[in-house]
Amino acid sequence: EKNKAGTMPRTIAVESPGCPPIRAFTFDVLGLVKVIESRGKQGTPKVVDRWGEPDSSKCIVAASIDDCKFHPLLAVARKGGQIELLNPLNGDLHVAINAVDNPAMEPQEHPFVGLHLFKKLRMDSCRSCTLLTCTGKGQASIRTVEVSPADSASLASHKSWIVSAAGDISCYKVDGSENYALFGGKGVEVNIWDLDQCSKIWTAKPPPKNSLGIFSPTWFTSVTFLSKDDHRKFVAGTNNHQVRLYDISAQRRPVMSLDFRETPIKAVAEDEDGNTIYVGNGSGDLASFDIRTGKLLGCFIGKCSGSIRSIARHPELPVLASCGLDSYLRIWDVKSRQLLSAVFLKQHLTATVFDSNFTDEVNPPSNEEQDAIEIQRDEEAMVPVKRKKASKDSEGHKKQKAKKKSKKIKGHVAEEP
Amino acid sequence: MGGKRKGRESKGLEGEEDNMADGGYRSSNSNSGHGNVDSNAKRQLLPSMIKNKEKRSAVHAKLKHQKKLEKRKKIKARDAAEKRALELGEEPPSRKIPRTIENTRELDETICKPDDDELFAGNDADEFSSILKQEQTPKVLITTCRFNSTRGPAFITELLSVIPNAHYYKRGTFDLKKIVEYAKKRDFTSLIVVHTNRREPDGLIIIGLPDGPTAHFKLSRLVLRKDIKNHGNPTSHEPELVLNNFTTRLGHRIARLLQSLFRVEPNFRGRRVVTFHNQRDFIFFRHHRYIFETKEVKQADLEGEVAKVSKAEKKSQEKTIVRLQQFGFPPATRPKYGIVEVLMWQKDGLQSALIGQEKHQFQMPNKECGPRFTLKLISLQHGTFDSKGGEYEWVHKPEMDTSRRRFFFERRGL
Repeated sequence: EKNKAGTMPRTIAVESPGCPPIRAFTFDVLGLVKVIESRGKQGTPKVVDRWGEPDSSKCIVAASIDDCKFHPLLAVARKGGQIELLNPLNGDLHVAINAVDNPAMEPQEHPFVGLHLFKKLRMDSCRSCTLLTCTGKGQASIRTVEVSPADSASLASHKSWIVSAAGDISCYKVDGSENYALFGGKGVEVNIWDLDQCSKIWTAKPPPKNSLGIFSPTWFTSVTFLSKDDHRKFVAGTNNHQVRLYDISAQRRPVMSLDFRETPIKAVAEDEDGNTIYVGNGSGDLASFDIRTGKLLGCFIGKCSGSIRSIARHPELPVLASCGLDSYLRIWDVKSRQLLSAVFLKQHLTATVFDSNFTDEVNPPSNEEQDAIEIQRDEEAMVPVKRKKASKDSEGHKKQKAKKKSKKIKGHVAEEP
Repeated sequence: MGGKRKGRESKGLEGEEDNMADGGYRSSNSNSGHGNVDSNAKRQLLPSMIKNKEKRSAVHAKLKHQKKLEKRKKIKARDAAEKRALELGEEPPSRKIPRTIENTRELDETICKPDDDELFAGNDADEFSSILKQEQTPKVLITTCRFNSTRGPAFITELLSVIPNAHYYKRGTFDLKKIVEYAKKRDFTSLIVVHTNRREPDGLIIIGLPDGPTAHFKLSRLVLRKDIKNHGNPTSHEPELVLNNFTTRLGHRIARLLQSLFRVEPNFRGRRVVTFHNQRDFIFFRHHRYIFETKEVKQADLEGEVAKVSKAEKKSQEKTIVRLQQFGFPPATRPKYGIVEVLMWQKDGLQSALIGQEKHQFQMPNKECGPRFTLKLISLQHGTFDSKGGEYEWVHKPEMDTSRRRFFFERRGL
């Protein structure tokens, strides 16, 4: 409709710029895995597939993807203690493990908090994969699982240790070299473990009391390493809306501490340049900070009204995905902080990961070296995804945050004096 | 004069680059090259560009007067044309439909669709399903904020009479989190906190227990029972519940939250109805007692988008809310779980309703009893009340209000 000169337009229709070709997975509280793809230079992301049946006892609490060229694998941890390994191309279940360590314990009481699929150990053999899991009570374990199309999985090797005896773990991260892992939680200071020796190499110390003498209890809600090469610097977000930078080589107290709005920091993700971090909090605000100076670069404005549970940065394209309790998956442009698109996904989302090996160019599969191994890919004529390597890096560096989604009540924060 | 020109150039609404070259004087061919056809006069002199307030208001008044005259002329012409057409026996020219916010509502993709199995699974899995499946009886704890006020206690007594199985406890100086703990121990299913400000109740916090969501509403336009003319007195029967227009996913969730305050009682006894009507994101609460008079039965197809779906009725389990009104059926034909969508709500009572597949019209004088108020959702928090550490499922942000036609709880589907 025409607008009269000088009058405000009645509706403000902002055309969202389209999205570069991406493929992302989202995981929600009903245990569904949804595949969202966007094709073409300025496409609109759409849900192309949905795996699983809606069942809230199968709520997905953590997910991890290894999207290498050969044998990509998606690992998913569910609320009841099951871990499933899926094929990211078509959602086929490779193997399902019931990973509760002590069968006498109720699985509901110790739901998983974290799951990480190791990439480096998969290059050798495509038949097995290694997973790091962590429960809310602090039980961490590394297991190697046989991925065979057959039914059962054998847990070949199994190392486990207690990360923290007291307190709940609520966040974890494995670094880029996959030798170290961070754990933190409610009442648990962030600590770094060496995964080969299963020993704790560093623990953080709480910052000194502020000038008012107010002590806020330790409660870390999200952590991430700052860059994939350096395990010494990492960023942690707290329940008290603070974002803290720690440097192991410097000191045990945080090197820098930033305050961001008023709700807990539910997700942090780092950018590849090692200087920028993306922070998402409990009321849906997403912002990027320059971690060298501590300056807020800007907020991502886009009508996000629900807590952000997970942020994923695409390793190559400058896009960021965020998902959360408002049931939308939002794709943002990193540089301009503009919303590229939002996909409504109907359930509370707990995690999202990118599949970086996705291109939508149609090329005959004979160009790929992998057709000898994965014959089934050639038959995927109906699945228009040709899994070509988009980049030379064989270890597709994935950044994902998976948050614990639990229907239990979190313990109450200790009262402030 | 130059100032006005520059002002318009900077607006750039129509991309008037051709005017930039004009420099400082008006050009009369500003209309060229544009699709908009406006009168030259309006283009050249916008009232908002005149800096002098008196002159500006004079020009604006003149403009408005002109518009009014034009409109009157148009209406006269239209009426004359209609009259002529009727006299000649032809069809009168059709009237244009006025553009209202309701017809130009922005499409919301989060509408609940009737065939959405994820919706039903989500409903099963959410915090209210045990109450709504009649496995648990709701038990409501009502309390206030720390400082109570003039109208607060009266409102609370009325709420106690509206909501069955509600208990009032004085607030004291307990922390809300402690109250939540206490309520959980005593097996309450919901907690309502009435918040007062300036001696008037102005906020309502509904917390589902044990770990249900927390909805924070703004309460306004409260009218107590004694202030309503000809009010009726509520009985102690279980009220029937009418939830109108909660069509989006968020609205659906709120509707279930409100439903979980009341007991699910499919066999309606007593003719008492509590209505939550959602319109443009405001939830209107009314409480009536009704009596039946006449009834006619009309057959009509199920049209539009029905909030509580008839397909749900066909499903074997009773998954959805389904406590809705019945109108004037003799007991033999009374459906066990009626699904009603209220089509028209009028001041003197509901005039028509869609029950199952049939549309019924009836006369229903009723008496309003109980309080009358309006709610607006400020935020919906996941988990119980936790102002510092809580995470929100929905919180209103000013950046969401970019359009006057976008609302979050409902979308007119009809």
